[in-house]
Amino acid sequence: MIGLQHYLVLSAGLFALGVLGLLTRRNAVNVLMSIELILNSANVNLVAFSRYASGNLGGQVFAVFVIVVAAAEVAVALAIVLTLYRLRRTPNLDDASILKG
Amino acid sequence: MSGEALVFWVFAGLTLGSAFVVVLSRTLIYSAFALLVTFFGVAGLYVLLGADFLAATQLLVYVGGILVLLLFGVMLTHRIYDLDLRSETTQLGSGLIVAAGLFVVLTAVALKTEWPGLARMPAPTTAAIGRLFLREYLLPFEAASVLLLVALMGAAMIVRRRRSA
Amino acid sequence: MYELTRSLAAFRPELALLIGLLLVVVADTFAGWGRQLMTRLLTIVSLAAAFGFALELSAAGTRGPLFSGMLVIDPLGAALKLILVAAGLVTVLAFSFRNSRELHGLGHGELFTLVLALVFSCLLLAGASDIVMLYLALEMVSITSYVMVGYLKGDRLSNEASLKYVLFGAASTGSMLYGLSLLYGLTGTTSLRGIQEYLAGGIPDANRFAVYALTLLVLAGFGFKIAAVPFHFWCPDVYQGAPTPVTALLSVLPKAAGLAIALRFFYGAFSVPERGPWDLAGSIDWTALLMLVSVLTMTLGNVAALTQTNMKRLLAYSSIAHAGFLLMGIVALSENGARGLLVYLAAYLVMNVGAFLVVTLVHLHEGSFDLRDYPGLHRRAPLLTLAMSFFLLSLVGIPPFVGFLAKLYVFSAVIEQGQGAYATIAAVNAAVAAYYYFKVLKVMIIDPGNEAKPALELARVDQLRLAALALANVVPLFFWDWIEGWARGALVLYAGR
Repeated sequence: MIGLQHYLVLSAGLFALGVLGLLTRRNAVNVLMSIELILNSANVNLVAFSRYASGNLGGQVFAVFVIVVAAAEVAVALAIVLTLYRLRRTPNLDDASILKG
Repeated sequence: MSGEALVFWVFAGLTLGSAFVVVLSRTLIYSAFALLVTFFGVAGLYVLLGADFLAATQLLVYVGGILVLLLFGVMLTHRIYDLDLRSETTQLGSGLIVAAGLFVVLTAVALKTEWPGLARMPAPTTAAIGRLFLREYLLPFEAASVLLLVALMGAAMIVRRRRSA
Repeated sequence: MYELTRSLAAFRPELALLIGLLLVVVADTFAGWGRQLMTRLLTIVSLAAAFGFALELSAAGTRGPLFSGMLVIDPLGAALKLILVAAGLVTVLAFSFRNSRELHGLGHGELFTLVLALVFSCLLLAGASDIVMLYLALEMVSITSYVMVGYLKGDRLSNEASLKYVLFGAASTGSMLYGLSLLYGLTGTTSLRGIQEYLAGGIPDANRFAVYALTLLVLAGFGFKIAAVPFHFWCPDVYQGAPTPVTALLSVLPKAAGLAIALRFFYGAFSVPERGPWDLAGSIDWTALLMLVSVLTMTLGNVAALTQTNMKRLLAYSSIAHAGFLLMGIVALSENGARGLLVYLAAYLVMNVGAFLVVTLVHLHEGSFDLRDYPGLHRRAPLLTLAMSFFLLSLVGIPPFVGFLAKLYVFSAVIEQGQGAYATIAAVNAAVAAYYYFKVLKVMIIDPGNEAKPALELARVDQLRLAALALANVVPLFFWDWIEGWARGALVLYAGR
């Protein structure tokens, strides 16, 4: 029987993988992909809770907004990556070393 | 096992497996297409959870919009003559430790907590979600349009090559 | 339907900004060459109208939920909104495309649209009482900021800064989202009032761990917006890479909005109704956690600022440190704490914008942000140096400047709660901070050098701006009773009943 826990562990895995990508990837587009994994994992949570725990559609509505935000974010982020590439001929983050901590 | 369980495991496997590829693959283009599979897997899970509107939105926006945009990003930021679409990974060890730790913590949260058990039987959601958008969630619904305007304008402005006074 | 009209009546500041935003977009598209003036004028009028409406709301003292519980209006919220709109207005008035060399030749309309969108989003964030609205507003603030930071698209520094900002921000808000999803799962509702009812009803032991975990995740999002440790890493680079007027705006607006929503989230959702909005649910010691964050933030900000020679980075670290002081208002968990927060935010606005204005003007005339180009300014630009000394002394927290009063309020709120050790650490931090503020002052006033260079010819309007901001740092002292009364009246936090 598939229950809430199955989905939650799945999303935990997705979240962890997203964080892994975030921490280890050098290419900006790859980091963006990892962030999308994180957002999707939260969405799976929301929809699973909507189905098994809350009994209302709030989670699904929330998930729709998350998708909207993700789209806007990716658009802006890619615009910036593209400009970075034009200026520096590389989409790699480590090479963006002018600004130091 | 039951049909539902089978479908779940198939989609779960697809989703997680492709997510691994997204994060660990050395070739950027493989990551991008693996992400496509991940999004599809998640859409499948949504259907299983009775979220039909959301599954359709996921496919339309995530696969049809965001992924395509990411693919453009991949293609436009590499030298075309030299299809060196490789992507490097640094400090895999410490990253793995953090990620594993997070997974353990979140799984513990998932399994240990007593979640409320108000189930919602799968039913068509589109009309209900539409009603929610126009009643309870009206303000975020309208505010999102401002967000989209800003993102549209902002992205276009940043990428635009020639600046007209 | 009736609820909608009632909500819209209380939504007037935001509506003014929204209409202004749309008008600016239209004006920028269609107007001829009066465009630059028109967009600027529209922005100022829109912000002024919003300020007027916010004033009206603040005076009316309305409280209650709006838009089916998406937003909440209460006197504290109205006061915060006033500060947010004022921040936008002051920044737009202080800076222009003429006095900022970085902005020369760039599009006017887009930037003004972004400014209006930013203030609008910050107002939504400050009033949010539903996690859907919270997330959406937070992301609106963030995405608008990302675009503004990357405004100097031809500049590598600006571009890298905005990329760092996007990636860091998206990661933080993504984590926050995961935490919010868990909160939804636990409580079955997206409204903060519902969440409060659940938490106040007692958390079963099995769920305590989940609440800890999700709160930490949610704090990631708040911490990022406020630039609190350990989510501050983006701050110096972003402040340095963004055009200085944008930096000035970002140093106040998102920070204030982030603090407002943190206040509302913790005290709206995590409070126990019978005991009033200032007592927190459960035996989870949020105060200690916030205290730790506050101390780390102010210490790190101050220590890092000590060695900076780039003025923008120095002010960035100073900003981080001030976030630590601002958090004192939240840690104090009392009415005095909230009052301290309000006063500190208002003071911080005039001190910070003033300092950034000086940095911008020096850059306009000298072309440099480096402190090493500042010696001899007292001879070449006496008004500028005088104004800067006002701002710096206010930032240090010396009487008779507003900065002193701000610190006084937060310190007394903290001491009143018996958190003496915390107050001591904060005091030490203030002393450490004084060092680098005085260093800048010393360089401008005492250090020799550059005197052979000609005097800085400041435009009349820039002189007026400097004078106005400098006076704003001192004059409020004479109106203290009135401000005190206003802050006291603004302390009602509508905790959802």
